[in-house]
Amino acid sequence: MNPMEQFTVKPAFGLDHPLFLLGGHPIYFTNQAFLMILVVVLSALFLTFAVKPGRLVPTRGQSMAEVSYEFVANMIHSATGEDGLKYFPFVFTLFIFVLASNFFGMIPGSFTVTSQIAVTLALACLVVGLVIVVGFMKHGLGFLKLFVPHAPWYLLILLIPIEVISFLTRPISLSVRLFANMLAGHTMLAVFGGFVVSLGAAGGLISGLAIAPMLLIVAIMLLELLVAFLQAYVFAILTCIYLNEALHLHDHH
Amino acid sequence: MAQDPGELRELGKKLDEAQKRQVERSTRPPPSQMGIAGRFATELVAAVVMGGGMGWGIDWLFGHFGFHTRPVFLVVFFFLGAGAGILNVKRAADEINAQIAAGQNKE
Repeated sequence: MNPMEQFTVKPAFGLDHPLFLLGGHPIYFTNQAFLMILVVVLSALFLTFAVKPGRLVPTRGQSMAEVSYEFVANMIHSATGEDGLKYFPFVFTLFIFVLASNFFGMIPGSFTVTSQIAVTLALACLVVGLVIVVGFMKHGLGFLKLFVPHAPWYLLILLIPIEVISFLTRPISLSVRLFANMLAGHTMLAVFGGFVVSLGAAGGLISGLAIAPMLLIVAIMLLELLVAFLQAYVFAILTCIYLNEALHLHDHH
Repeated sequence: MAQDPGELRELGKKLDEAQKRQVERSTRPPPSQMGIAGRFATELVAAVVMGGGMGWGIDWLFGHFGFHTRPVFLVVFFFLGAGAGILNVKRAADEINAQIAAGQNKE
């Protein structure tokens, strides 16, 4: 039993035939693509149909939709102020996508989309790309002042490249944090799951010991639910912080 | 007692602000030790990798046009990346300190 096996990207439903060829490369409909579509469709349907205007006592679904709306709106407001609320749809979509992917990954036997660096890096590049576009649209070339700290000119030769590298690091640290957390958690669950199976198969009294890793799995599962939420939150709040910098250009000094 | 509408409105505004601050604080979970360690590690390593990668890329680009600069830019940008990594960690530390301070104010 390989604990990393759960992260294999493979054609979904045994569809071994590629969908089409792109520049000679076969494109498959993978389990990852399936889960991403499922996450998007189900969360969109849920958020659309859970809310009905004019209901005096909200149902459970409506409360969930409203709480997540208010949560993200508060987050953007506290991190970027009034003018950041324009980007609410972007941040909300991102938050819900990451959150729903993390939670779908928690269902035993499913696949965790956010444990793939390709997905998280693409999301992070989208965020930083948006930050750059917003910065240039709002401030023109003045956006480049973000990379110029207050220092004498001879130090700027050294400091500007450092600031630029530091800025370009963002997509990496943003994506690696989400990816590593999900990867580590799910690997841990699979490893302890392997303990249960091998102890249980040992036979005799030793089989009884299998209850110990079993209990541990329950605890880790709860922890992972917390991590799933926390990482979605961290992803969204960092998006807000980066947007805030592009909007208001305050430097760090 | 606050009787006239101006004063009442003032009071209402203050209440709204206080409530908002409360929400902001309570939605910000404090970072765990493990989280802080992971954060610093990724910030530092990502910057060094980014710097080294950029230097390697610049060398490759120059080599493409017939200038054999390899490994000058790789070396220079590796160290710049290390500097950027330390800057990132310092900023992350400032951020976490601010979060912890905000958490302590609440109590």
